[in-house]
Amino acid sequence: MSRRRFTSRKNIIFLSTALLASLVMMTLSVKQEKGIHFLDSIAGTVFSPFQNFFTQTIQSASDGINHYFSLADVARENDRLQFEVQRLISEKSKLVERLARRKRLSKLMAYEDDLRRETVSASVIGRDATQWSKMVVIDKGTRDGIRNYLAVVTASGVIGKIIHAGPSTSKVLLIIDSRSAVDALFQGSRVSGVVVGVGGDECELKFVPNTANVKVGDYVLSSGLGGVFPKGLIIGKVSQVSVKKQSLFQDVTLVPSSDLSRLEEVLVLLS
Amino acid sequence: MYYFVQALIVVFLLSAQTTWLKLFSFNGVTPDLALIWVVYCAVRYSWMGGAGPGLAIGITQDSLSGGLLGVNTFSKTLIGYFFSTLKNKLFIEGVIPMGIFLALASIFDGLVFYFSTMTILKGEVAPSFLYQMLPVYSVYNVLIAPVMFMTLDKINGWLKLHTQP
Repeated sequence: MSRRRFTSRKNIIFLSTALLASLVMMTLSVKQEKGIHFLDSIAGTVFSPFQNFFTQTIQSASDGINHYFSLADVARENDRLQFEVQRLISEKSKLVERLARRKRLSKLMAYEDDLRRETVSASVIGRDATQWSKMVVIDKGTRDGIRNYLAVVTASGVIGKIIHAGPSTSKVLLIIDSRSAVDALFQGSRVSGVVVGVGGDECELKFVPNTANVKVGDYVLSSGLGGVFPKGLIIGKVSQVSVKKQSLFQDVTLVPSSDLSRLEEVLVLLS
Repeated sequence: MYYFVQALIVVFLLSAQTTWLKLFSFNGVTPDLALIWVVYCAVRYSWMGGAGPGLAIGITQDSLSGGLLGVNTFSKTLIGYFFSTLKNKLFIEGVIPMGIFLALASIFDGLVFYFSTMTILKGEVAPSFLYQMLPVYSVYNVLIAPVMFMTLDKINGWLKLHTQP
């Protein structure tokens, strides 16, 4: 009986300590204490080789499947050449992937020239470990000159900002995350607002006055205020507008210009 | 050896979660392998078997996430503790009780995120979160759980034969 009571007390102490520790972590995280991020760095270092391996495996498998379907008829028609075809498929798969990567990179490089800023290109190697936060992991870190609060873009526009730069990997908070806010303005009317994420696939543009003329399809750009995103980068396009008479502001929904669910290579703006 | 294999399982689950699991997303929702593992440990291991694994995987998941640090540690530890305690009071063999356990754990996990974002971070969560994303998340976890439980049972069966925990 006393042994059971002792075990029970031990369990309660363990649980209380664990919960207290998690509350302390939450407090430090909200206060943006630097020390708390050592856990992120350790986890990043341990997991990045596995994430790299998993990502590359998926890409290879996906290429293999695509090429199998496109060339299956040829293989069936000519059994004699099957071995040769398979070899060529494998070779072509590699080349196609290399070409696609080069195309994407050259698009990014052209964009980099347009930006006239110092940038670092990086590959996306992982996504958030939880269901709810919208974040990606890139394969560049402080060793490559990346630091917190740098803007991250693709050739299509803004995707987010660095929230934690580890030695070899960094976390990018996407603009669709519920904690993201970017000061913005409409390309045409120059009316300003704040783009906030709501945790879904779209963003909302807040504080747009009812009097502003907003149409579906209008482009929204970064305003340059806030010090993270340079002025003039495309954030997204208006997909829905709703004006309520009893409200001071319109409800504006925005589709991000980049497809945030299929990110592969990104640019980090160093300056 | 036993703990090494358990650590490898955690690394594999979280690596999968952060890479290719997105390919199987439904309505933008993917199952939470870490959550299923915590419930598995809580149900299968001896008294309080879920709280320790919950704490360990919660911290790791928090470190690999861009969200508020500590949220997963909090929810996973509580889920582990709660279901470890509950399993000694209820009969939980079979797919249906497991499904109910998983659904409850998923809803609790989602609500912890929802309230922490709304209160501590003062952020905004899409209104569809509670009536659309959370139910899909729960159902998805419930559907994946039997396969994962079976696989983990096989691994643990092998471990019991070859190692001493």
